[in-house]
Amino acid sequence: MYSLVLLSGGTGSRMHNTVPKQYLLLAGKPVIMHILERVDLVNEISEIIIVCTDEYISSIQLMLNQYGIRKPVRFAPAGETRQESVYNGLSLVQTSDVIIHEAARPFVKTEDFQRLINEESRNAMYGLSIPFTVIRGHDYVEGVLTRSELLNVQLPHKFETQLLKEAHEKARSEQKEFTEDASMVFNYFPQTKIKVCEGMEYDIKLTTRIDMLAGEQIYKEFFVRRK
Amino acid sequence: MSTCVITGFGAGIGRATAIRLAKEGLFDKYALIGRNEKDMNSTWEEMTHFLSTDRIKIYHLDLSKPELIPAVVEEIHNEMGDISCLLNIAGYTDPKSLLTTSLESFELTYKVNVFAPFMLMRECVKYMKGGGGKILNVASTAGMTPRPGWLSYASSKASVISMSQTLTAELAEYGISVYCVSPGRCATKLRKRLAPDEDPSTIMQPEDVAEVICNLIGPNECCLDGQNIVIRKAVK
Repeated sequence: MYSLVLLSGGTGSRMHNTVPKQYLLLAGKPVIMHILERVDLVNEISEIIIVCTDEYISSIQLMLNQYGIRKPVRFAPAGETRQESVYNGLSLVQTSDVIIHEAARPFVKTEDFQRLINEESRNAMYGLSIPFTVIRGHDYVEGVLTRSELLNVQLPHKFETQLLKEAHEKARSEQKEFTEDASMVFNYFPQTKIKVCEGMEYDIKLTTRIDMLAGEQIYKEFFVRRK
Repeated sequence: MSTCVITGFGAGIGRATAIRLAKEGLFDKYALIGRNEKDMNSTWEEMTHFLSTDRIKIYHLDLSKPELIPAVVEEIHNEMGDISCLLNIAGYTDPKSLLTTSLESFELTYKVNVFAPFMLMRECVKYMKGGGGKILNVASTAGMTPRPGWLSYASSKASVISMSQTLTAELAEYGISVYCVSPGRCATKLRKRLAPDEDPSTIMQPEDVAEVICNLIGPNECCLDGQNIVIRKAVK
């Protein structure tokens, strides 16, 4: 069985909004509830750990009740960084395997979670080819990156809980900061195979206002099951 | 196991629908919500001609108290399993003109015709989300065209039409289809209050409406959700 650590500690600063993006309404429903409703239908996930700031716990609890979420839910405090938030969530995990996801990525279907779970490797992530050219540099071009060697890192990820916990402990002791967990595990345990599963175009992260506009269309196109 | 929840099954369109469903065996179980003991028992008995008694259960509830609905729906789910269909058929009317309509009468009409279906949909959807299903609301042609003297009833049925259409879009993600039917003149007790001088044998019968409802919620219907389906019958 899996625990799902759902990161919901974002502040919404890039959205220029006082309400963090994961609590804004998308198709009339708070962004965070889109993913919670779908996770609620995945049998292999036994509990949900939501990582968020204290001020949102009571609102989330109310929403869990309103939307009839049946899985047990616990809360962990958001950290100063994403890495610290994952660490806080992980500390509550007791299952042997864990799935990491973010509330600001609402466009993951139940069958996408299922596909990740069914993947033979216990450590796996979603990745998508990059459809555009990327160069290294700021004011001037400093180098060229080979597109065919690059992948857009998507969520969710799944890991052996103990492996991910150890990677986090190492990163903390070295005061190293990683922006996501696959690269952290790879850095400390390069012999561990992390399977890359073919990602989904619709699995975007809601970061800016334009993402919310795009999100409304993605929802209509990929998630409304009209016959 | 699929369970169908029906309100207003004691008489009229609700009774005709419940009996027809029992005959056709469209669902595994039936949760019948109502309050008039005599009417309910009569429909229940009729249904048992086609179904074993363990597949039908009556839940006593006064729909003018919609705040009691969450507990009843939870009880239905616990006793009968996942809900796959909800039929909001119960209705109430107290036809009066604006100047003679009391707040109490207006409120009661809305409680039964609008608030109760709203609460039933909200609570049942919690248990339908996983497997999808169908919701059918019975509105009325009175909700579409002006009828002087029917203020509370007509406006409440307009609300039912609008709720159904709004929720068609909102609940599509869960695989839940929402239907709305608006019967015209139909020989029911409710119609008798609206048009006491009318000869019921000269208008559409509840069984005619029940036939349409059963077709809509049956497995072969695939494209009529989200519409307000008017049911009228030419009568000689």
